[in-house]
Amino acid sequence: MRVLVVSEDPDFFRSSSWVAQQLGGEILGIHPSESRYVDKVFVPKLEGAWELPLAEFASTLKPDVVIAGGTKRDRTFAFSLAGKLRSSVASDVIDAKLEGSSLMVRRPVYSGVGIATLRLKLPAVITVQKNTMEPNLLKGEVERVDLPRSVITLKERKTAQQSVSLDKAKIIVSVGRGMGSKDNVKYAEELARLLNGAVGGSRPVTAEMGWLPEDRQIGLSGNKVRPQLYIALGISGQPQHIAGIRDSKVIVAVNKDKNAPISENCDYLVVGDAIEFCKVMIGRLSK
Amino acid sequence: MSVVACFKVVPDDTSVRVIGGKVETNVPVKISTYDKNAIEEAVRVKEKLGWKAIGVTVGNTDRKSIRDALSMGLDEVVAISAGYLDVAGTAMALAETIRGISPKLVIMAETTTDSSTSALPPYLAQILGYSLVSYVRSLSIQDSSITAERSVGDVEVVEAPLPAVVSVTGEINTPRTPSVKQIMESAKKPVKQINFSSQPLAELVEVQPFVTTRKKVIIEKPMNEAVDQLINYLKGEGVL
Repeated sequence: MRVLVVSEDPDFFRSSSWVAQQLGGEILGIHPSESRYVDKVFVPKLEGAWELPLAEFASTLKPDVVIAGGTKRDRTFAFSLAGKLRSSVASDVIDAKLEGSSLMVRRPVYSGVGIATLRLKLPAVITVQKNTMEPNLLKGEVERVDLPRSVITLKERKTAQQSVSLDKAKIIVSVGRGMGSKDNVKYAEELARLLNGAVGGSRPVTAEMGWLPEDRQIGLSGNKVRPQLYIALGISGQPQHIAGIRDSKVIVAVNKDKNAPISENCDYLVVGDAIEFCKVMIGRLSK
Repeated sequence: MSVVACFKVVPDDTSVRVIGGKVETNVPVKISTYDKNAIEEAVRVKEKLGWKAIGVTVGNTDRKSIRDALSMGLDEVVAISAGYLDVAGTAMALAETIRGISPKLVIMAETTTDSSTSALPPYLAQILGYSLVSYVRSLSIQDSSITAERSVGDVEVVEAPLPAVVSVTGEINTPRTPSVKQIMESAKKPVKQINFSSQPLAELVEVQPFVTTRKKVIIEKPMNEAVDQLINYLKGEGVL
């Protein structure tokens, strides 16, 4: 049994390694820096469009199970590898265990309304969600590798500039159409500043209306977040949005419509105008 | 020259909910949200370059959804009927049909709203032997290559050779609402029916409700009082 752990991201590499250690067997890793979470780590330079060349390299290791992180580049790598291996797949896996010659996994479906249990034939390629577990330290033998050339040319990379990263923020203030206008987003920004939090938005206000940069989108096709406190301002709460905030500890919604879908998915619903809420809240916090 | 748009007919996720301890998926169906962006992008390629735009759908071949896709401007649709298919099976079904079409470009959504695995585009690209660009938010086509902006946390501009599989995000365009005339005309467009079945590598054992119990406390009073009450609650929760 050979398990391969792969991620470009340190948190995801740790999370994936922990899942791998629960399965047992020989654990190999691929990560841009050295790590003792695995028996042996292959360290490539992740440059240019590296996902497909890395899949090519990983296929030569002949893994039975591949556990990858969940960044978009991790997924592109993992499922290209899966296509090469003609393997079974699952993404966003919460837990995994071996049962005979199958891998049993659980993962959310239908925008997070359900949890599916799947029985995967080996070889299997899965991506996992982040966890907070600390894996054991293993040998961590290091081998540097050169990747084959990609047919895809990377022309430019604009690194996302996030003031406070949505990924790590303890408090997120998030805006939807109900804020009324782009100009009004400043109230949410001021509130977030006072709470030392980050600002995000629903798909309409990020991808469609441009009130906030697209990398601030929260939901199924944007960022999935898990803050301590999520404040949804004027967000109706479509399933695609809920899918991105489900793991938040406490969800507060401010909405004029107390029957909006968000009311079913929040801990506290303040019925009223989001701007007025911001102004009063800012007043309280500035004291 | 042709471009293929892949789409999936799924239970409307705004209607899927937990009823009596079960996830009720026997609800009206629709084209998966971001698949409409894929169709729109294929139709734009057709309008700009004069390529033929062909839709391919696998699984539920609901007539109304297929008409919706044709109304948006696809020239024809290949509807592959199948029962439960996993990603590998779906990729095989698509690959068989797409090889027959031999398009320059295959456009699909980065994820569907039912299983949201995000695995199909890379998997399919490998089986077809096409190049892959995932999470594309803007696309331009040259003679033998494409230039695309990818939304992967960072924004990457990449160039890839054709033929290619491209997965798109919701940001790439706003899907059009067809006119009455287009809806009428869609009835005359060809729909080819095929059947497909395969043994899944990933067997669906069960789907259980995912219950995150939220408190659902409604605070409806003048804003000054509402905010005070909320602050008290949040201090009690230890998050403020």
